[in-house]
Amino acid sequence: MIEKDKLKEYAKKLMFDMNEEEYETLQKEFDVILRQMDIIDKIPNLHEVEPMTFPFLLKDRSLRDDEVGDYLTVGEVLANTKHQVNDQVKVPKVVEE
Amino acid sequence: MITELRKELDEAKVSSEELFEEAVKKAKQEQDKYNSFVTIIDKYKIKRRADSILKGIPYALKDNISTSNILTTASSNILKDYVPVYDATVYRKLKNAGAVLVGKTTLDELAMGGTGTTAATGVVRNPWDSNRLIGGSSAGSAAAVALGIVPFAIGSDTGDSIRKPASFGGVVGFKPTYGRISRYGLFAFASSLDHVGVFTRSVEDAAIVTDVIKGPDGYDMTALKDDGKSYKNELNKPLTHKKLCYIKEICDVNEYKDSEVIKTLTEFHKLIDECKSKGFEVDGVSIDKKLLEAIYPTYMIISCAEATSNNANLTGIQFGPRGEGNSIDEIMFSARTKGFSELIKRRFVLGSYILQKENQEKLFLNACRVRRLIVDRVNEIFKDYDGIILPASGKGAPSFDKSSEQVSDQQVILENHMAIGNFGGFPSITIPFTFVNEMPVGVNITGRVMEDDIVLHIAKEIEDITGLKGMKAGDRHV
Repeated sequence: MIEKDKLKEYAKKLMFDMNEEEYETLQKEFDVILRQMDIIDKIPNLHEVEPMTFPFLLKDRSLRDDEVGDYLTVGEVLANTKHQVNDQVKVPKVVEE
Repeated sequence: MITELRKELDEAKVSSEELFEEAVKKAKQEQDKYNSFVTIIDKYKIKRRADSILKGIPYALKDNISTSNILTTASSNILKDYVPVYDATVYRKLKNAGAVLVGKTTLDELAMGGTGTTAATGVVRNPWDSNRLIGGSSAGSAAAVALGIVPFAIGSDTGDSIRKPASFGGVVGFKPTYGRISRYGLFAFASSLDHVGVFTRSVEDAAIVTDVIKGPDGYDMTALKDDGKSYKNELNKPLTHKKLCYIKEICDVNEYKDSEVIKTLTEFHKLIDECKSKGFEVDGVSIDKKLLEAIYPTYMIISCAEATSNNANLTGIQFGPRGEGNSIDEIMFSARTKGFSELIKRRFVLGSYILQKENQEKLFLNACRVRRLIVDRVNEIFKDYDGIILPASGKGAPSFDKSSEQVSDQQVILENHMAIGNFGGFPSITIPFTFVNEMPVGVNITGRVMEDDIVLHIAKEIEDITGLKGMKAGDRHV
């Protein structure tokens, strides 16, 4: 079984936490999931196959012209945060005094 | 259905305002019981100068599609107060076509789920039986169409998120070729698998809506060039592509013990016989069982890994509820801890595990390799066949208390094969075909990439065979 501390480490890398009970559920779920993933290992000669990261090859791709289009105003960019100062999103000081 | 409403509007038997009022009234009436919507729009808004078949027709949009000045939450607390400042391309096209938005529909949080039970605003119930789920993630869109609130709704589909709830809801669910409809403004879940698609009550309506929303988009480099076809008009031509196959390993009745699954498959084979009598050629073909068993883990690995990365932008800093803390890291940590539900966190941790350096080769890259093997095999089948026909689900929608029950390995394949359509970007449609235990079950048809018109056309002919067109919840065709 995967160690709970490992799961905590992965969660913290993604910048969130869970409670102990949730980690325990996840630990049990991981067991099932890892068994499922073993199915993939049973497929022979996988190393010879090129990984597929896109559904199909897109032909005739060309970049669009580099023209100025619609853009967001400062007001629009800041519309979803109450924390703002001087037309910028306000966050705690990064450089410590 | 859209064609009927169009006629009534054109003959001035009803006004667009009246259709909107009626849809809003029904949406509100049914909301407490079924929870189809996150937001119901109060104000009638139409582009008066529009001139399209959808002008004046009410519709609903899944709440993971960006709508400027309209709350868009993806059914997650981390976006519970987010009001976008830009329109998704699909919404812009529908606005320009004069379609009238009735509401934003409930989904499994961030579209990551297949049950319709994980939205921050509560579970979505199945209009055919409120003790059952409708499936997800496009749960509210399926329910809104099945309830007859709107004639069409927009959804998104990463594994089967349109086509499975369509099966459970007794409606049509169509996911065209990857890139046929722009994904600009769709909140990304797993970018290499995400599609925008439609729910309707007939195949013709699915063609009509897709005609309006398909096409290239300067804001989405994966959007395809226009194929120049009217899918609606293509339906009126003779169908010359009538060679279908089903996958033997999935459809063998003897492999199952569940009586409802056996009933579904028995009805499925009857449908195949009827298709044959109507001029279709239908064969059983084989796919290595090992590959079929690998569909679900492959989907989980790729989708969780991509989701983990795509959702890194949800920090609560530029938008979403701000977390507490004395540093940027602390406020992000707090926002994400509070904003994501447990299920989403579990999927993200899985994604994180998969993407760890030591696991990338064994898990992520091997899943991507299996994806290729599956897609290659399906493309090989498409050299001989115009479409693959399979049950969209093994039985009707599960009840809420049975949704987490363990199913056999064989049934895991039956319930998850539609992810093939996402792996290869194939056009894929679910239409209702039978009732099992008084619940609708759909049949799924998947075709070659770019041949959206042919898939729709095949589905239309099968719809004529089943006679299950234009259904709303409550209609019984047992």
